[in-house]
Order: sequence, then C-alpha cells, then structure tokens
Amino acid sequence: MQQARSAPILKVQDLAIAYETRKGDITAVRNVSFEIRRGETLGIVGESGCGKSTVAFGIVNFLGRNGRITGGRILFQGQDLVGRSEEELRRLRGDRIAMVYQDPMQALNPSLRIGEQLSEVLVVHRGMKRKEAEERCMQMLQRVYMPDPASVMRRYPHQLSGGQQQRVVIAMALLNDPALLIMDEPTTALDVTVEAAVLDLVEELQKDFDTAIMYISHNLGVIARVSDTVGVMYAGELVERAPVVDVFLRPHHPYTQGLMRCVPRLGMDKASSYLYPIKGRVPPPDHLPPGCVFEPRCPYARPACCETRPELRQVADGHWARCLFAEEVAQSVWAPSDEVPARLPAIHAAAADDKPLLVVRDARTYYEVPSRQLMGRKQLVKAVDGVSVEVRRGQTLGIVGESGCGKTTLVKTIVGMEKPTGGEFEFMGVDIAVPVSKRSLEVIRNLQMVFQNPDSTLNPSFSVGQQIAWPLRRFRKVPHNQVRGEVIRLLEMMKLGERYYDRLPRQLSGGEKQRVGIARAIAGLPAMVLCDEPVSALDVSVQAAVLNLLLEIQAELGTTMVFIAHDLSVVRFFCDYIAVMYLGHVVESGPVEAIYAPPYHPYTEALLSAVPFPDPTVEQKSIRLSGSVPSALNPPSGCRFHTRCPRKLGEICERETPPWQDAGNGHRIFCHIPLEELRKVEAVVTVPKKTDN
Amino acid sequence: MLVKDYMTRHPFLAEPSMSIVEAQRLMGENNIRHLPVVGEGKRLLGLVTRNSLLVEPSRLSSLDMWEIARYLSGLTVRDVMIKARDVITIHPDATIEDAARIMVECKVGCLPVAEGEFVVGILTDVDMMAHLMQMMAATTPAVRVTVRMPDVRGELAKLVGAIAGQGWGILALGGAPAPREPGKWDAVVKIRYVTKEQVAAALSQVEGQQIVDIRET
Repeated sequence: MQQARSAPILKVQDLAIAYETRKGDITAVRNVSFEIRRGETLGIVGESGCGKSTVAFGIVNFLGRNGRITGGRILFQGQDLVGRSEEELRRLRGDRIAMVYQDPMQALNPSLRIGEQLSEVLVVHRGMKRKEAEERCMQMLQRVYMPDPASVMRRYPHQLSGGQQQRVVIAMALLNDPALLIMDEPTTALDVTVEAAVLDLVEELQKDFDTAIMYISHNLGVIARVSDTVGVMYAGELVERAPVVDVFLRPHHPYTQGLMRCVPRLGMDKASSYLYPIKGRVPPPDHLPPGCVFEPRCPYARPACCETRPELRQVADGHWARCLFAEEVAQSVWAPSDEVPARLPAIHAAAADDKPLLVVRDARTYYEVPSRQLMGRKQLVKAVDGVSVEVRRGQTLGIVGESGCGKTTLVKTIVGMEKPTGGEFEFMGVDIAVPVSKRSLEVIRNLQMVFQNPDSTLNPSFSVGQQIAWPLRRFRKVPHNQVRGEVIRLLEMMKLGERYYDRLPRQLSGGEKQRVGIARAIAGLPAMVLCDEPVSALDVSVQAAVLNLLLEIQAELGTTMVFIAHDLSVVRFFCDYIAVMYLGHVVESGPVEAIYAPPYHPYTEALLSAVPFPDPTVEQKSIRLSGSVPSALNPPSGCRFHTRCPRKLGEICERETPPWQDAGNGHRIFCHIPLEELRKVEAVVTVPKKTDN
Repeated sequence: MLVKDYMTRHPFLAEPSMSIVEAQRLMGENNIRHLPVVGEGKRLLGLVTRNSLLVEPSRLSSLDMWEIARYLSGLTVRDVMIKARDVITIHPDATIEDAARIMVECKVGCLPVAEGEFVVGILTDVDMMAHLMQMMAATTPAVRVTVRMPDVRGELAKLVGAIAGQGWGILALGGAPAPREPGKWDAVVKIRYVTKEQVAAALSQVEGQQIVDIRET
C-alpha cells in the first residue's frame, strides 16, 4: 500500500509530439507533464484541436505513419515507453494499457458475436480454454451491469444499443485487469441518461480495480463528475493542472477561467446573465504566437506575455498553471470587456392574451415500416403521437428528451419536411398541415430552420455569400442590386464581416459554418426559427458565442424560436418554455423555472439527475433509468414511461393513459401520481453554497 | 480482511529479457524491493528481489574490470530471477493471516498474488505492517491499555462488558497469548475520548484481570 502512494502508474514528462507534413514537422503537443496514480482519474479537458487525443495516442503509440514523439518521457510503471521498438512496446504495454474510444463500433468487430470477441482476449493473451474464458466474460458483463449477459454473448454488435456497446467495450478493456485505462470521450455519443449510468460504472470500477484512468472529454460537466485531478489543455500545452475542485472554483489560468464562463451555470437565465465566449480561436499548431500561446485571446495579456513563454509552475499546493501572472489572474475580479453587452435587453414576453404564433394540437407523425411477415400488414412507427404545444411571439420553446423521443420529427413536421398523419398545425393563423411544396412563399419565409450539423446543410461548392443571398432572392426581400449589401450586413450581424463573402464552407470552422447557417435562416426575416441542436457539435467557447448570437437576434428582431437540445443546462439558460418529450408524447411542459423545480414528472426528474453539471460541489440525486427507450413500433400501453418509471404506482400506469394535471402557471404534468405527492419530492440538484466565482 | 483488500494491484513488473541494469534502476528509482517477472498475459515466470541482484564476489574475482562490465551488461532478469516454480504465491481470496503464516514459515518478504498462473497483485511485509497499523489504529490518538486475563472462555466478554458498561466504544482490539506466562492471555484495547485515569479506574474493577500496561497514544 505504501508503494501504491509513492510511485505513479503513469508519469509523463515534457512530452512533445510532432506530425510530419509537406511543410515540415508540425509540433502538435509540447511540454506536457502529468502523472496518474493507482485508482486515480485524471481528466483532460480542452477544446477540439488542443492535442488531448494526441497525448493519448502518444502513450499507446498509435500516432499513425506521420506522427512521432520528439521529446520527453512516458514512464509507464517505471519503464520508459519512448524510443523502444514496436515489439518491445507491445510486450511492455501488452495487456496493461487499455483504451476506450468515443465510438464503440470502432472497437468491436461487426462480424463476430460478442461472446467470441470477448473470450478471444483471454484465449489469446492468457491461453485460457474457450469454455473457461466464456465464463469469465459472462462474469465481467455482469460486473458492468449488462442486462441478460447470456443472450448478449450470443448477439452481434449491431444488435446492441449504443450504451450496451460501450459497456461491452469497457468490459473488454477490463478483462486483462489493465493498470491504465485511457478513455477518449467514451460517453460523448450517448444520451444523458445512458451517459450517467456509464459514468457511475467508471467511478465504481476505478475503485474496485484500482485502475489509473486518463479521461479525455470536452464536456466540463463530465470532467467535474469523474475526475480527481484535472489537466486543462490549450493549443498543445497543458496550461493548468490541479485537483478538480480547485480547477472549477479557483482557476488560475485565464483560459480555464474563460472556459468556465462559457458554460451556463446553475441558476443562470438569459435575462440576468450572459455567456462570455473567449474571443478569437485556437491558433493552428504551425502558427503559434512567440510568447504565451493564449496571449492573443487573453483578456489579461501584457507586453511581457508576447515575449516569454511561461513555464508550468506551482501556484498553490498541488495547483500548477502556465501563466506569468497566475496569482493576479486568480484574484482579480474579471470585468466583461466592452465588446459584449453586459446585459441583454430583457425580452418581454408578449401579453398573455396575444394569440400564439404557432399552435400544434394532437400532432401525429407515423412512419410506415414493412412487416416482417411475408403477407403481414405494414407496421407503424408512431414517432410523434398526440403532441400539443403552443409558442407565443418572441418566446423560445425548448424541447428536450432522449434520442428517439420524437423531438426532431416534431420539428421536421412543423417545418414541412415530414407529412403529418394527423392533428392540427396552425402558424400565424394559417393551416400548415401540408408539405412544404404546397405552402405559400410567405409561410416558408416565416418558418425557417437551423440544423445541427452545418457541414451537411451548406452546399460545399457555393460561396458563403451566394448561400446567404439565395433566400434573399427567393423571397424578394430586397431589390436585386442591394442583395450583396444585405448579405454583408447579415455577415456583420453574425460577427463574420465582408471578407467571408467569397469563402467556401470548407474554409470555415465549425462555429463559423453554424453562423452562416443561422444567417441563411434569418435572411428572410422569419417570424419563427426552428433550431435542431444548433450548438451540440460545437466547442464550449464557440457554443457560447452562437448562443449569444441567437439571443441577440431574438432581442433585435423579436424572432420566435423552437430550440431542441439534449444539454439541459443550455436549454434552461436559453428557453422560456420547455416541453419534455418521451416516446412521442409530451410528458411535462411549462415555464422553464417550473420544469427545473418540483413538482417534476418522474421522467424529468431522472433526466435532471443524469445531467453532469460543470461544478464539482453540486449535489445531485442519483436516479438512474433502467433499460433503454422502448421501441416506438410497439409502445407500452397506458403511460408510455411505466416500463422504466422509478415511481410507478401499479397497474393503473400500465392500463390508463395518464391525465394532465395543472400545477399552475401553465405548468402541466402528465402522470397518475397526484400533484401533492409530486410536490413533496426534493429538488434534484442542490448547490451547497454560493462560491466565490 | 482478505489478501485482495490489502495487496497492491498493478505492481511494477519486469520481463525476462530486461537487463539487470534496467531492473536495478527501476527498483531503485521507485523504491521497490520486489519485481515479479511476467510473460504474455501477466503469467508469472519468476521474481527478482534486491538479493537476486547481488552478484557473487567469487564470480567476479576471476574477471578483470573490463570483463566485469561486459558480464554485467549481458546479464538479464532471466539469469538472476527466482524461477516461478520456487516462488511462493498466494490467492487473492486467502486470508491475511494465512499470508502472514506463509511469510513467516517460508521467511519471505513478499508474496506475488496470483489467480492461477496470472499475477494480479503483490503483498509485501510492508503491506502487512500497514495492515497491523490499521488494525491497531496506530495513527488515532486514544488510551491504549493491555489487560492480562486467564485464558478461559468468557474473560474477554467480561472486559468488553466493563467497557460497554461505561458507555465507551472500542476503537481497536487485539489479543495474543501472554509472553512467558502460560495459561494467560493479553488483550490490547484502544478507547477514544477518555483519560488514562478513567480507564484505569474502570478496568481495575474487573475481577481476575490485571492492567499490565496503560498509556496514551
């Protein structure tokens, strides 16, 4: 045990990694030092392109043909991994380092049954008999809480859900009892409820197996949940390293502080607070500033910062930061710069008696799937089944729910990309239950959409200017000779400027592409914009900028918005009303503050307890939903949530569709449990005390 | 109190082909005294201790300085390790006292913990000491009292009853046959939040038992 405390499992010293390119060597990672002990989790956080994964790949020597370690040492269990031959490395590392990636399908062979893949590990590495190996694998699957492991062993990877696949990969990684487990964004592709269960599992296994874990994520909330120590990476350097609480509550590096200000905190709302994006963007590795790498974006930058490259130095006990003025930075009260308005003009909701802009009543969208039987009838997937929502002018409706709950289908039906099976759709007093080709130009102009993935919605062969000009021409908003001027005005509104006019989408970053997508959507001055996960694919600092932009547009143009997101803290910050969807139904809807406080629908309660918050001091109830969302082909009878509901009353939930109960102020809950009972439930999330940040 | 709870998981390991210069550095730098030698899949092949790295002077006296250097640089872990068949191992589910017995009987300072042929951890004499330390709550301030009693059933219950009668809790409790006094038993008890005098007063009342040592730790 004493040995355990003295010698770290992994010690990285001054690591530098470079990629060979046609322009010469480009250093992607430099001066990275950290160590991980037994049973400890080091979280590595930073925006994309900061070198997080490169460090991980460096440790396991998967740098590809053009990557190599150019300096430093990687001591794994006391032995240096740098400069050894492939064969030596394989033997040394062998089964003692395991890695879990973002996409579990990368690690699983699609043509082999789970049982064969798992036992292979033991048969090859340990020369175990197949029978014995299979038994061990079953135990391990049970250990990772895989439901019905015996049948899972006989299945192929594609027959499992994403969360189950990731469990199989984690089980596989643990079969050899590795000393070091590297997890690179293992939960990024999963739903919040599944993510919460996987994070619980990681925490538990780390204690049981005493494994050292290196956990890479861009999600500050996840990092706050799992880490003991956190390393913050920026432009290939480790800029801050400290115990998790210190990083989140007493950040000493301006970049870490900037990251913290980009994410909506608990209790923030858009009327009283503002997200402060970090200006500029991560410098490309071949054009690094001569001094501190963060200097061009740093609000505290001084002349000295441009000349000297700061060293990682200890600023407090166990707290390391790479900043010349770390102590001052940590102490100073940060004031927002003049570029961003300190406060947005409060958006006043339209008067209550005003007619809603969009009314959806009993909306139903079914998809037909061919029957499995030869002569059988077609089956229906009821993606949206009896949803009613209203949105008033100038307000934002947020729709949340796990994937497969029908939120995207609902929005697609409203915008006209799917044909509704039934129900009433009324927009600005016009019936819009018709496909987009039959709608009047006026309706199309007023109902626009921003998509999740800007890459697939921008035409790669048209310039930015042409793409934004198209709706202007189509809707004849401005005379022909003024189109260019209008496009430039829009680009400036998006904080992009005229120089972007002739660029092609591939010359833009993710955040810039999303801005172009937004510019195109608002070009025709629509009354309503539907946003389907507009910031999910973006880095936190970019996400903050895009959210701010949407808020500004809303304040300036009075645009009404429907906003889909799975990140509940973003939704809380951004929306006025929220509808929680489950399996094609709305289970709870109401004003934003009402949703985040009791009474909750049991499903909302579970969702809230699953969201990782970027604050390690937050106390959260742990409610985990078992199983996954049932198939919409054959939804459960009665209340659709009864199969997973932790508060299920009994038979009534299976038999009868729950009534809607009015909790006041437009807050409606669809549940059999009486409101008085639901009101007694404690709040899911509690912040212990006001912190100094 | 099983081996798996007290062993060190993921110990530093060596391969048979590692040079002894490297092994020596690894052990020195990380302050470890035992290095299990493993092959594919962490199969135990042997054990290197500090003793294994001592080279017999008689072998060196016949060599000149240059030959010594060459001789040493050619040596690998495989040449000096204790072979697996001579290494005593223990299963992770064994009790900690069994591990202690084996270490005492065989006079070894370390037991590789193995499941079948595969190393899952290591248990050293230092781990055992750490365990003893925890068992006796060595780092918690308390009154430590040694009571000598006849080795008869019910005597310990009398002592525990007397302590419980005062409303005190027992922080740690250990017992062993009294040294040099056959038929007697020594119990060591640690009690928190009380003074030495209170303990002495309360326990001197217990019939047939005597306090042989009392101190504050």
